[in-house]
Amino acid sequence: MLQCIFLLSDSGEVMLEKQLTGHRVDRSICGWFWDQSISQGDSFKQLPVIASPTHYLFQVFREGITFLACTQVEMPPLMAIEFLCRVADVLNDYLGGLNEDLIKDNFIIVYELLDEMIDNGFPLTTELNILQEMIAPPNIVSKVLSVVTGTSSNVSDTLPGATSSCVPWRTADTKYAQNEVYVDLVEEMDATINRDGALMKCEVYGEVQVNSHITGLPDLTLSFTNPSILDQVRFHPCVRFRPWESHQILSFVPPDGQFKLMSYRVRKLKSTPIYVKPQLTSDGGTCRLNVMVGSRNDHGKTIDSVTVQFQLPSCILSADLTSNHGTVSILADKTCTWNIGRIPKDKAPSMSGTMVLETGLERLHVFPTFRVGFKMMGVALSGLQIDKLDLKTVPYRFYKGFRAVTRAGEFEVRS
Amino acid sequence: MFPQFGATAESLSKASTAVFRIGTDAHLYDDPDDVNIAPLLESKFDSEKTEALKRLLALIAQGFDVSNFFPQVVKNVASQSLEVKKLVYLYLLHYAEKRPNEALLSINCFQKDLGDTNPLVRAWALRAMAGIRLHVIAPLVLVAVGKCARDPSVYVRKCAANALPKLHDLRMEEHTSAIEEIVGMLLNDNSPGVVGAAASAFASVCPNNFSLIGRNYKKLCEILPDVEEWGQIILIGILLRYVIASYGLVKESIMFSLYGKDDNLEVDEQDFILKEDTGYTSEKTLSELANMILQCYIEGPDEYLSRSSSANMVPPKLDVSQFTSCSNDIVKILLKCTSPLLWSNNSAVVLAAAGVHWIMASKGDLKRIVKPLLFLMRSSYASRYVVLCNIQVFVKAMPSLFAPHYEDFFVCSSDSYQIKALKLEILSSVAVESSVSFILKEFQDYIRDPDRKFAADTVAAIGLCAQKLPKMATTCVEGLLTLIRQEYFCGEIRSMDGEDGVLIQAIISIKSIIKLDPPSYEKVIIQLVRSLDAIKIPSARAMIIWLVGEYCSLGEIIPRMVSTVLKYLARCFTSEALETKLQILNTTAKVLICNTGEDISTLQKVWSYVIELAECDMNYDVRDRSRFLKKLFSCNVDSQNHVEEQNSESQKRDQSYVFAECIFGRQTTAVTVPTEPINDRFYLPGSLSQLVFHAAPGYEPLPKPCSLPYIDFDQNDGTANSDSDEDGDPSTSGSVDEGSASDYSSEQSVTASSEADGSDEIDSGNEGNNNVDPLIQISDTGNVSEEQNGGVHSRFGDLMSTKSLESWLDEPAKSSKENETNQSRARRSSARITIGNIRSRIKPKYYTLLDPANGNGLKVNYSFSTETSSVSSHLVSLEVFFENCSSEAMSDIVLIDESSNRSSDPSTNQTPSTTENTMKIHTENPAMVSMEDIPSLEPGQTENRTLLVRFHHHLLPLKLALFCNDTKFPVKLKPDIGYFVKPLPISIEAFRDKESHLPGMFEYIRSCTFTDHLVELNKGSNSLTEDKFLVICEALALKMMSNANLSLVSVDMPVASNLDDASGLCLRFSSEILSNSMPCLITVTVEGKCSDPLTVSVKVNCEETVFGLNFLNRVVNFLAEPSVTRS
Repeated sequence: MLQCIFLLSDSGEVMLEKQLTGHRVDRSICGWFWDQSISQGDSFKQLPVIASPTHYLFQVFREGITFLACTQVEMPPLMAIEFLCRVADVLNDYLGGLNEDLIKDNFIIVYELLDEMIDNGFPLTTELNILQEMIAPPNIVSKVLSVVTGTSSNVSDTLPGATSSCVPWRTADTKYAQNEVYVDLVEEMDATINRDGALMKCEVYGEVQVNSHITGLPDLTLSFTNPSILDQVRFHPCVRFRPWESHQILSFVPPDGQFKLMSYRVRKLKSTPIYVKPQLTSDGGTCRLNVMVGSRNDHGKTIDSVTVQFQLPSCILSADLTSNHGTVSILADKTCTWNIGRIPKDKAPSMSGTMVLETGLERLHVFPTFRVGFKMMGVALSGLQIDKLDLKTVPYRFYKGFRAVTRAGEFEVRS
Repeated sequence: MFPQFGATAESLSKASTAVFRIGTDAHLYDDPDDVNIAPLLESKFDSEKTEALKRLLALIAQGFDVSNFFPQVVKNVASQSLEVKKLVYLYLLHYAEKRPNEALLSINCFQKDLGDTNPLVRAWALRAMAGIRLHVIAPLVLVAVGKCARDPSVYVRKCAANALPKLHDLRMEEHTSAIEEIVGMLLNDNSPGVVGAAASAFASVCPNNFSLIGRNYKKLCEILPDVEEWGQIILIGILLRYVIASYGLVKESIMFSLYGKDDNLEVDEQDFILKEDTGYTSEKTLSELANMILQCYIEGPDEYLSRSSSANMVPPKLDVSQFTSCSNDIVKILLKCTSPLLWSNNSAVVLAAAGVHWIMASKGDLKRIVKPLLFLMRSSYASRYVVLCNIQVFVKAMPSLFAPHYEDFFVCSSDSYQIKALKLEILSSVAVESSVSFILKEFQDYIRDPDRKFAADTVAAIGLCAQKLPKMATTCVEGLLTLIRQEYFCGEIRSMDGEDGVLIQAIISIKSIIKLDPPSYEKVIIQLVRSLDAIKIPSARAMIIWLVGEYCSLGEIIPRMVSTVLKYLARCFTSEALETKLQILNTTAKVLICNTGEDISTLQKVWSYVIELAECDMNYDVRDRSRFLKKLFSCNVDSQNHVEEQNSESQKRDQSYVFAECIFGRQTTAVTVPTEPINDRFYLPGSLSQLVFHAAPGYEPLPKPCSLPYIDFDQNDGTANSDSDEDGDPSTSGSVDEGSASDYSSEQSVTASSEADGSDEIDSGNEGNNNVDPLIQISDTGNVSEEQNGGVHSRFGDLMSTKSLESWLDEPAKSSKENETNQSRARRSSARITIGNIRSRIKPKYYTLLDPANGNGLKVNYSFSTETSSVSSHLVSLEVFFENCSSEAMSDIVLIDESSNRSSDPSTNQTPSTTENTMKIHTENPAMVSMEDIPSLEPGQTENRTLLVRFHHHLLPLKLALFCNDTKFPVKLKPDIGYFVKPLPISIEAFRDKESHLPGMFEYIRSCTFTDHLVELNKGSNSLTEDKFLVICEALALKMMSNANLSLVSVDMPVASNLDDASGLCLRFSSEILSNSMPCLITVTVEGKCSDPLTVSVKVNCEETVFGLNFLNRVVNFLAEPSVTRS
């Protein structure tokens, strides 16, 4: 089981330590960790499981914060990683973001949360909704109150009812004047287009996100018109397995508030809504780049926040790139970003320019991969459609809302 | 302008961030000690206390040691504010181990909080109390955990389960069974949340106590999908181990089929897997690998190390009986309940469920795990790596499983290098003929990747694919050659790192492909040789030169161009790098040996030129090599000059020629062919060890199949919830051992007792046989109504002192019966029970102090006596029996407390008159009131003495020295906590009153199984059925009284509608602790059928908690001991 959790800042400073068991971990381990990550660079930062001379370390890196957990004994590594991810998610939600200052400013809340989330190295309460009832998230009201009166307690003095009910993710006695459920399909499209311009891989990873505010203990069912397109699914603990196995119906008692009901994968899609065509020609020490972007859109929806990003190969000394639409920026680490925004109707955006190669190099022999970002509101590119949402048990009416959005996931175009 | 209003932009932005930080604890973190913390802690306002505590926590967070505030902080544990409490707990747990003495101050508060009405307070108190981890309070924590395990709140019960590993960490051997009992109880809980936490406790407390699982197996399986995610991970592993330990592996699973090959268990299976895996060339290595994996799963690291070498490894002997079928219900349930978990949101749960299927599911069902595993790769980056590491092992053992999903292993640019490398390895293992062209196409893209290390790995993967699928080899070689041409095209000018690696790797790959079928790649070699001039990287050149030497006699063209190549090499010899130079020397030698052609003279010229150059080289390796070669080839070269003139000389030449042949001849290919034995270690899927490639501490391989004796636990399902602890469960081998051990000791005591009062025994035995003389007799007084509704309330001894009770009990049974009935009728008109001569039947237990074998024939036994000392309340009285078993007389036998005497005056020890001395000792260090010595003991003579001893601790033995014939024997006196009390004769009302004053924390309950009465019942099977209760009463009372110094207060008879149901029988005993006269009350309640082993729950109420607990443990232990069979 986990022995200790450290939170490290961007500069390697230990912001917080939480010892979990009797076998204390000295914080010098963080020093070792940081020395290693400086000497070994990025590949070390991306190694989730590290065997240090004294401990096994698990690291999860989120927005500049390194979550480091230590153990000395055998335990499922995914359990540790998943838990650290959960901690990061919860903190993100509590503090409205993750960065060094937020953690330091609210270190008491972080301590209290960690104490509730893990006991003796074993996860205790990790459901966000329940935690929020035990430890109040910081908000404007409590801040002001604490300034004015000097007293504020973020520790609730009663045990959330949910911890003892048969649905541990929900408190039974919620009351709302207006009952409403919003269902969002949030999809990410992963695609790989190879050097020949052929679509090698195109699939969608989606999540069904639900925001429910319903009085009492509601029992919801959600069904899709075309569940057969789903290749693989994963569910929130509240989803009952049996109805899904037999009829592909989601039957569940929802947690209160926002949660991720289900995630799914749809494979082998035939087309992408956007095309990116890079061309690289090199001769005599210079290289000419031309990237065309266009919409292949038959959904009738606009494509927003389009970006094309790529890493200039290290053999390129300088680059001069311009575009007919949007802005091009090149960072010091040779990351080039072309912000297009919304694709205009009248013209096809393109970026072009020349790049100077290292002296002595005639031609370019390595080619960058272009990562594409976009966002489409109101459409689920997987084609998944919600059939209906019903409320059992509780008799009164409620408002339902459905939305869909698709973003680019790992959308790559090789050149 | 006023200067003070000239705010700069910088200060404005500072101000704006400050606005966001208002109301947070930012200032506390930034300057935690800018105020004096100590007075704040003493403040009477919660808000100030909170602030002080927050400052302390900030200091802890920043790594400062603030343990010096411990005493002040501990005081605040009593605060009513929950926030203060929480913060104090946080601080306390951080430092408790450092300041154990001060931490003890908080215990009372926790105890109080444990009785709070708010479950949150109870849970926090328990967590904090268990988290303090002090040995001193461990028994208290155990009691608290035991209580909380029965708490109405699920959350509290969950925290109780989590507290068990904390207790276990303290390594309290004496409480192990109590802890395991609680684990068993919590595993049987109805709430899934508790079961999950209990599973985790089980895994860390008693991972091999499968009887706890067996009892609840089906229930645990059914509850599994509802258990919270973290518990699921652990519970899945436990269930898997249990099934393997008790039922073995599954015949249809991949484990078995891999196995079949060695044991010829099932030929069909073997064929099946062969068929399935066609398309993989290195089939043999594959199956060997898979076999290896299985072996690693089952075998512990010790065995692995002890195995001399992997070459002669003997697979663990498993026979058919150690395999079960997939259709076995137990296996079916496990698979059925774990398969929906493949849809879990938690990656660790999915992987754990997949691991179970991997080991237990039939090969057909194995497909089920593929998609969930692949889907996991889309979760966080960190888990992607872990999942891929596991998939890699699955793929190695069974490539066909993932073969159709090769597209999922295509690399993205956002993958880290480790992930890319793993994906490449998986891709090259899953490639089959139908997919290889797509995979190679993808590989072509990767070669252009800016990450050159990755590109080099890709080239290596291409080589692997070509070796696996010979049909693709030509295409691969073509591609690689083109790559090499491109590479050397720009190779001259570039000094970029990684680029060399690609080229070298390309040549390595080509080399390994050529090795498969050299004749068909003649042209490839020629092309490589032609490019030699352009390739500048030394190791790449060396490899090509090696190829020339290796294949110099291959085909038609190569032998003809060899001399030209050698000339070229000789020309550039001086400018080469070390490794190339060495390789040129080798190749020249090889060519020389193989060549029989016409241009031999040219070759010899080149040879001598190169040797000459090498001999003058700067590097001694090159010089050595050249000298060695010169010597080896001197005769060879000569012999070819003067063609075999003298036979006598040729023998010597032949010898060196043979050497040269051996070293440089064509045998090399033959030597390198045998595949290397796979020497990797594999660990269970989903384990940490699997990722770090060594067994992490605490790693446990799967248990040996069928290592657990088969028990049909289904029968126990019904009785499982009766809290019977595992002592009573015959399944655990541990408890069986215990049983036999105690059998042994009790046998000893039987022989001893039969020696002591054997005649009595026989008498009572006869009586028992003849006229059924029950020790307890109900003499109905006619008040039938009370007996009907209230049960029989017997209260005897309530008005009498112990002494009189004893004397009364000692009276002959028959006469006492009438007397007693009269007496009791006179006192109260209700049902009466009298217990006959129970005192006389008490057989004290004898312990050996000195064995005749060790004591030169002197045998010393001792037993605890019920007499209490009049000298001091701290003294326990013992009867010591001396017997001379030798043939010679003994003299001056005395038993003394050595530790105290040593300090006083050792010379007086052996003198016969030690009375004065002992008195002195008694006052100084009253460990023991010395016994009167025995001046002489004739052979066969026995003597007994009464000894008054003061034990320092009620569990630790006292070291004494026994002197006999001036020889010293160190002996140990083991205390029996049952005699650290003396009978406290009180009435039932007084008992009840006292009991009501000792609730909650002072009450401890444990249960055990009691079987003594069975012997009696069987013996008197012809007797009246009504007597069953009495027999039980008698047996229980006897057992209690003969093992502890108690007084019987009352007996409650069960309200029995069924004559065979003893449930409700209740005996009360009272006693007081010798040292401090605190009362210690014991209530024994019986449950179960008369003719079966009874479940007896023992309750102890005692103010002194530690003593009470130990006392309870002792009572439970002796009650559970099997009865002494009477001769």
